Amino acid sequence: MSWPKAVQDIIDEFQDIEDQFERLEVLMDFSEEVDELPVSEWNENNLVKGCQSIAHVVVVVNDGIVHMKSAADAKMVQGLQGILSIAVNGSTIQQVLDLTPDFAEEAGILNSLTPSRSNGFRTMFDMIQREVREAI
Amino acid sequence: MGDSMKHDFPIFSRLINGRPLVYLDNAATTQKPSCVIDAMSHYYSSSNANVHRAVHTLAGEATEGYERCRTLLKQMFNSNYAVITSGTTEAINLVSHAWGSHNLKAGDVVVLTEMEHHSDIVPWQMLAEKTAIELRYVPVENGELDMDAFEVALVGAKLVCMVHTSNVLGIRNPVEEVISKSHSAGARVLLDAAQAVPHESINFHELGADFMAFSAHKMCGPTGIGALLVSDEAFSEMEPFMGGGDMIETVTLEGSTYQTNEHRFEAGTPRIAEGFGWAAALEWLSSVDLESHHERLLKIANRVADQLREKGMTVYSSLRPGDAAVVSFTHPTIHPEDFARLLDAQGIAVRTGHHCAQPLMQKLGISGTIRASFYLYNDDQDADIFLSGIDRVLEAMA
Repeated sequence: MSWPKAVQDIIDEFQDIEDQFERLEVLMDFSEEVDELPVSEWNENNLVKGCQSIAHVVVVVNDGIVHMKSAADAKMVQGLQGILSIAVNGSTIQQVLDLTPDFAEEAGILNSLTPSRSNGFRTMFDMIQREVREAI
Repeated sequence: MGDSMKHDFPIFSRLINGRPLVYLDNAATTQKPSCVIDAMSHYYSSSNANVHRAVHTLAGEATEGYERCRTLLKQMFNSNYAVITSGTTEAINLVSHAWGSHNLKAGDVVVLTEMEHHSDIVPWQMLAEKTAIELRYVPVENGELDMDAFEVALVGAKLVCMVHTSNVLGIRNPVEEVISKSHSAGARVLLDAAQAVPHESINFHELGADFMAFSAHKMCGPTGIGALLVSDEAFSEMEPFMGGGDMIETVTLEGSTYQTNEHRFEAGTPRIAEGFGWAAALEWLSSVDLESHHERLLKIANRVADQLREKGMTVYSSLRPGDAAVVSFTHPTIHPEDFARLLDAQGIAVRTGHHCAQPLMQKLGISGTIRASFYLYNDDQDADIFLSGIDRVLEAMA
């Protein structure tokens, strides 16, 4: 499967890492990539359900271009949000809807996470696509 | 000491993320020695049959092997009754249905504590919804039960349900005092001993509790099996809860009569392979000097706790003599899940989260902790690897 270049770069970066500790460090580095949602804007509507830690995601569509703001209390969860931000931000609605969550598996990101965390990733991914679909 | 014992446990030969496994999630479940795995495999490969029914050879072997588990439980814990359940949770639910439903009525008081595992809270809340019993919770102050508040709560109580040793903090409650005061007040006592039996030899009869629930898997036995020990008096007050095969004497279309021994609470085909496995675990444990290991592990846990404090962590366990070797801690800024994941990357298994004790977490004002819990096979080297692993996490997150 071919991915957008930004996503392919992430997959390549993770696939090059052999050490698990290093892989998680890189994942946490991605937490810097989020457009941070201030705590004052955290609410029940943007809470990611099914995630063990506290995570919030807001998706805005302006002139057909998607942008997400997010934050989480665990750095690895925010790292996952950072990766999603790179995949999503600046893309068109159709590009976001064409995206499938298995890029994270291909990168080996999810293999290293607990099922609950993987589900959290899926929940965030589904949440983004749902909101984008609603914006059509 | 712990290292030589690891040879009995096949799991310690595997690597986790390229590192030897340092397993410190023993309060969740312990690893299994070869004899337990072999006993279960032996049952399936050589003696597989249903129990208590047929007269053929395999049925006889299966019944004997399964019932040996019960016999060992009765001997080890000095109890006339050992009902075999799926674990601590089912044992407590069994008390709520088989005893609670028949001996408690609207307005009767059940005393619980803020330190309980969800499995010793939810069954009573469910019963309260059905029968309007009153639940009173003994508060926890500075990680310990408020015994003055306990005495106030005890007035008029019919049942006291208490965790013997906390799964979150490792704290051993003053159960002897609780039992004595509860009985003087006319209340029966149920102990959740899931975290206690792996660490201390308990003489159920001498201790004097009415019910004691625990699980095999926290004491080197298989998952899916546990027990409820019941005093003679309390046993006579229990009525069958689940109906089905194995628990009856006679069945006619008009009605049934029930067995009079523990089988009356064990409807259906039981956990036979698990019974074989647990019997092997109980025998293996009886060859271990629990008390001296407990002392050794508590020393290790105290050393770990001291060093964690020096590294800036808040430690919630007090680790006094008698407490379980459980170190529950938090870091001021690093999320417990990030911490645990980075430890796992180094082959170190710890637990994070609320440990199925949300009311206690609320009382401590935190959402969760990181918990390192030590057991028989753990040694000083495990503690050293754990502490170096912590240092690596702190460096990475600095």
